[in-house]
Amino acid sequence: MNLNYVLIRFFQSLLIIFIAVTINFVIPRMIPGDPIEAALSTKIAISGTVSVDVEEMAKIYRKKFGLDQPYLVQYVNYLKDLTTFNLGVSLVNFPETVATQLLSALPWTIGLLVVSTIITFLLGTIIGAIIAWPSCPKWFHVLVIPFMLTSTIPFFLLGIILLFLFSVVWAVFPAGGGYSPLLIVDYDLESAIDIAYHAVLPSISLVFGSLGAWVLSMRAMMISVQGDDYILFAKSRGVSPARIFVWYCMRNALLPQFTNLALTLGTVIGGAVLVEIIFSYPGIGSILFAAIAGKDYFVIQGIVYILILSLGVCLFLIDLLYPLIDPRIKYSD
Amino acid sequence: MKKIPFTLISGLTLLSSIILFGYLGPIFVDISNYEVASVMPSQPPSSELIFGSDSQGRDMLSVTIYSIPQTIKIAIIAGFFGIFIGLSLGLLSGYIGGFTDTLIRITSDSLMTVPGIAILIIIATNVDTMTVELMGLTIACIAWMHPTRTIRSQVLTIRENNYIKVARANGLNNFQIIFFEILPNLLPYIAACLVASITGAILATVGLESLGLGTQDDHTLGTTIYWARRYSAILRGQWWWWGPPIAIISLIFVSLFLISLGLDKYSNPKLSTLNSKKRRSGNLENSQKDSPTANVLEISNLTVEFEKEGKRIMALNQISLNISENQIVGLIGESGSGKSTLANAVLSILPENGSVTNGNIIFDNKFVGNLSEQELNKLRASEMALIPQAAMNSLNPVLKIKDQLLDSLVFQEKDSVLKNKKIVHLLNQVGLDGNVADKYPHQLSGGMKQRVTMAMAISHKPKLLIADEPTSALDVVVQKQVMKTLKTIQQNLKCGMIVIGHDLGLITQFCDDVVVLYEGRIVEFGSVEEITQNPKNSYTQHLIDSLPKFDFQNA
Repeated sequence: MNLNYVLIRFFQSLLIIFIAVTINFVIPRMIPGDPIEAALSTKIAISGTVSVDVEEMAKIYRKKFGLDQPYLVQYVNYLKDLTTFNLGVSLVNFPETVATQLLSALPWTIGLLVVSTIITFLLGTIIGAIIAWPSCPKWFHVLVIPFMLTSTIPFFLLGIILLFLFSVVWAVFPAGGGYSPLLIVDYDLESAIDIAYHAVLPSISLVFGSLGAWVLSMRAMMISVQGDDYILFAKSRGVSPARIFVWYCMRNALLPQFTNLALTLGTVIGGAVLVEIIFSYPGIGSILFAAIAGKDYFVIQGIVYILILSLGVCLFLIDLLYPLIDPRIKYSD
Repeated sequence: MKKIPFTLISGLTLLSSIILFGYLGPIFVDISNYEVASVMPSQPPSSELIFGSDSQGRDMLSVTIYSIPQTIKIAIIAGFFGIFIGLSLGLLSGYIGGFTDTLIRITSDSLMTVPGIAILIIIATNVDTMTVELMGLTIACIAWMHPTRTIRSQVLTIRENNYIKVARANGLNNFQIIFFEILPNLLPYIAACLVASITGAILATVGLESLGLGTQDDHTLGTTIYWARRYSAILRGQWWWWGPPIAIISLIFVSLFLISLGLDKYSNPKLSTLNSKKRRSGNLENSQKDSPTANVLEISNLTVEFEKEGKRIMALNQISLNISENQIVGLIGESGSGKSTLANAVLSILPENGSVTNGNIIFDNKFVGNLSEQELNKLRASEMALIPQAAMNSLNPVLKIKDQLLDSLVFQEKDSVLKNKKIVHLLNQVGLDGNVADKYPHQLSGGMKQRVTMAMAISHKPKLLIADEPTSALDVVVQKQVMKTLKTIQQNLKCGMIVIGHDLGLITQFCDDVVVLYEGRIVEFGSVEEITQNPKNSYTQHLIDSLPKFDFQNA
């Protein structure tokens, strides 16, 4: 592997992250309204205290967080904080820091979403490849139709339906959470089974909700690859159909699918926030939900930062892995 | 006129009935009970309250009917604004090019890398009161990048078409070209982008609203779901609360999905062509060949037809042709005359929409039409071979030359050491170095790729070799070398050979006999001398006349 290639891709990803966090800095300051005042008012409204001077308190907070300084100084401090992963403190769960809150939730989100996304990718790619094959039996096409229809429904709505059917009407699965309340989570078999059991419904809704997109894109790629000259030439040489299917068609159709997988993994945390909320899963999504309800500004910013970071990292990873799966792209240049 | 796809019609019907339900509902049903405490709370559906009521005492039928137009409004604002921005920028970027293009491309690309949901959350958390209109505009902010990209790339393709150049030569100004020449051709893509934008907009709205970031003070389909969740209607089994909005959203998505499938036919016509089922080819009545002959290939009365958009097109019409061992036949004709179809028919690799409707192909005393797919494969892998027309694209880009050569050797060698030796030997035979085996196709020049395809074709010592315009992609110097190699190979193998070409000069230097094909029929057949000295057909005469004279003197 060429060091230059790695460095160039690394700085490209850094640039993307930089642009994104800059937007994350600019937009809140362009919009009228003061998040601190809003958060304080909510807090006061909840606690029922009336005799507090919100404006005075907000001033103190603003000074504490450096929000009374010129934008440029704020921006430099903001970038400095991000590089040290100093994401501030939660306004609602004071004095817990945003970073600790997010770090405890991240493994749950990554575990649930990455596993489901990879399952969906594998299933969708294989099904898409098969239905694009000219000698695919008719019954298989019919079998795929229901999955295509469930995939048009957003997965969080599918989650609601599944939750109702399988933990209310026919209560075979838990109604939410990442593990049983009485379980002491540890690295043992009992925990593993319990966690897997709780993950069944959320992952089914994620898999069924997005399978169709993978099927359709793989089918389209397979059909376009099948028209390529090297497929015809391979046929003319008597290469076995199985070999053509896997190594000539699928192997080439996979290239764009792979890019999509990396992009999806990058955005999956954002997209599946709602599934976590529906199933009260102890991941980033649930924290986001609580933070939005409590106007916990710094937590929201921290989560947005995590979203940006995960996309940046995934883009970097595709660039590193792509030459391995497509020999035409080399580690030079 | 093309038939409108069933999916498009059913999708549009479904979508418009949902919209009509939302907009015309208030005429038939009194929807004034959508406010809190209008009816008895938490009632399941009954004859009085058809959709039941929520725990706040809202009539769910009223809420549902009231919220449909709201959600549709957000989707339309977001979809149309997104498309409007995307279309204008895409047109500017693709048509003007240069600095404008660079600027637009960089902006949209870098914005695309920012997670959309992140931007939406930032905007939505910072806005005090979210209205339906604001929600639509917010979503449009993140929805214009994708259409910009799609439209730009389509404009770039369209701009290169000849009719645009003709239009410009005819004195049409830029405005006229954009509006009368480019826009009409963009329509399917605009429609597809619009459907995608609206789908994305509804997904984003419902998502944000279910998070509690939407228009809580107003009723939309998403906020209904939010409130149902807030009051644990799911776990309490109050399905009538969240059921209708989810059902309607799902139906909207299903209809949009059907519409986009239908639009694919216009924006991506390739996807719908692979449906026709292939017929079994050949005449089955005379399945036994009476008298074995020395001919490697006997074609009699071969007719091949293609089906295109419901019409049948005859590609080959009553072709009869024999080829014996060690005979080289040149097959010549203009493009579209059926040359490559003939090659594909002999190898039984006609595309899905083509089939042999009459006649026989007898290869090595076997009726090709009677063989099973497996037997055919074996035949292709051991007795006949094709050197393809488009050598540039005829090799699998992701496999090493070695592995692709091995695919041609499946029936030949079992031992891996012998296999490797054979590969090097084959490559040397076509004038390539043995280390080419470890390279990928993109690392080779056009001439080298053509030689690799030749190595593959001769790997199993075929009895019949079909070279389909083996030099068409190469420059003149390389052409001569490749043809020379081909001749040596043929002399070593002593196989029957068909050389397809449109260059009469090249063919006459190389072949024993020449067949002239015109519009799917053989118009002339004879030895090279007969054809060049005394052509019977006017088309052949025309071909000969168009040759530069010095070609013959050098031959």
